[in-house]
Amino acid sequence: MSQSREARRAATILVSPAVLLLLALNIFPIIYAVYISLHHWSLSSPNPPRFAGLFNYQELWQYDDRFMNALGVSAVFIVLAVGIELLLGFALAFVFNAKLKGLETLRKLSLLPVMAMPLVVGLVWFYMLNENFGVTNWFLTLFGFERLPFLTDGTLAMLSIVIADIWQWTPFVTLVIFAALQSLPEYVFEAARMDGLTEREIFWRITLPLLRPAILVVCVIRAIDAFRMIELVFVMTKGGPGGNTEVLPWYIYTKGFLSLDLGYAAAMAVVMIVVVTVVAQVFVRKIAAPE
Amino acid sequence: MATYSLTTPNSIRATGALRYLIAAIFVGFCLFPFYVVISTSLKIESDIFAWPPRWIFRPIWDNYEAALFVFGGSGVLPFLINSIIVTCVSTILAVGLGAMVSYGLTRFRVFAGHHIFFFILSTRFAPPVAFVVPLYLMLRQVGLLDTHIGLILIYTSMNLSLVVWIIRGFFESIPIEIEEAARIDGYTHLQVFTKVALPLVKPGMITTSILSAIMAWNEFLIATIMTQSNASTLPVYLGGFSGSMGLEWGPYMAVGAMAVLPIMIFTLVLQKHLVRGLTFGAVR
Repeated sequence: MSQSREARRAATILVSPAVLLLLALNIFPIIYAVYISLHHWSLSSPNPPRFAGLFNYQELWQYDDRFMNALGVSAVFIVLAVGIELLLGFALAFVFNAKLKGLETLRKLSLLPVMAMPLVVGLVWFYMLNENFGVTNWFLTLFGFERLPFLTDGTLAMLSIVIADIWQWTPFVTLVIFAALQSLPEYVFEAARMDGLTEREIFWRITLPLLRPAILVVCVIRAIDAFRMIELVFVMTKGGPGGNTEVLPWYIYTKGFLSLDLGYAAAMAVVMIVVVTVVAQVFVRKIAAPE
Repeated sequence: MATYSLTTPNSIRATGALRYLIAAIFVGFCLFPFYVVISTSLKIESDIFAWPPRWIFRPIWDNYEAALFVFGGSGVLPFLINSIIVTCVSTILAVGLGAMVSYGLTRFRVFAGHHIFFFILSTRFAPPVAFVVPLYLMLRQVGLLDTHIGLILIYTSMNLSLVVWIIRGFFESIPIEIEEAARIDGYTHLQVFTKVALPLVKPGMITTSILSAIMAWNEFLIATIMTQSNASTLPVYLGGFSGSMGLEWGPYMAVGAMAVLPIMIFTLVLQKHLVRGLTFGAVR
């Protein structure tokens, strides 16, 4: 199929604006970030940026305990938040998977947190988790427990941002798994039943394998989005106490825009982009659109 | 469907009542923080800090008045206006450019078209925090820091992947015969796009508009770094007080309510398309 000159012109007009915009605001910044990361580049210093080679990267890997801590904190946050969201969301999808009056309305209502402004999510959980007047502690005392210093204790602070994240994203996991459940072909289950499989066997050997793609999709999307999360930390803990909730995005933000050390922040940004790109490429090519 | 429960394992299989109970508890958990935002925004200060929490109180509107015109010097109004401008313009641009590129890639053979498509999709994963350093320096270089245009351009680029994914499906579902007929009637390719194809994908455009608008409306990190005051949006206003808000919960929650409630309505409307929109169409 050869295209006419007019068709080629139309295609160019249609495709190029978006591509140019993405080249300018997506590809170029990546190259630029690499360039910046190879310099001593500080906004607070009067000196112009000075070439530094791999100095920033060497600093990162060899001497910066805060960076290693941030990687660890990010990993813990992702594993905890996404893990619990997947388990809860998965189970709830089965709860909603029945033709019962009113259940659909409940399912729709449960989706409201997903689109709420993350900053407000952080704000309201910050308020609700307050040690002195927070409603979470009121519930705890109601059941005979002690009040807990949710935001000032190291372990509890991590738990606090995990709770806020779970609140926002569990409904999303439920929605995806539920949609996948609904799309499973009924005849497979009928056949399995005729073959005499028990319900338990059907779940492990048929339902679960059929749900695998959806579970993978939601797992990767949630993990990558949890990796970029900064709003909850910004509002609720500011990375504290003692670096216990200092996820990588928060550390990059403080280095770049509070310490104004752009070169160093850019080096961390490059590391982050590499990690995300590897995961995303595998995802987009193998899972989202296998061809 | 009588065989419905077959997809449910014994262990999780629940009677109807148990389903309702679990679902209701979950929904309660999901809705409770919204209740807290709204109720706190209607409380006087002594009720806000009360222990035990006051469930019954006399609602007042003062916090909203303070939030709109007074709180933080100028009140939230200028920020609200910035948010509306940036959200609207970036949404129109993202949906417009996204529809164009989707149509171009589905209907024409474009050099490296497949790669362009995957590239656009993969930008969905770009972590904003990794881009703020170069973007900040770039905007500074061209004098677009603290301007609406700067934010609008960045948000447009961020929303393109979402738009392309959803709209592409809509374009593919248009029977090619309709477009060929229009060609025979003497339409140029671009006229077929604007006069035939675009009107047919209106539902897709509406869905993506709402999704893009919500993303732009909610975005915090880019906005807080790229703007100082002139173009600062609502989340920047909220973030600005998070360190020093000790006593200002009332107006603060009022702003929170204004930021969140309009979105809630759209979320309920969008339901059907959310899965596809948020998972890259990998789950339909």
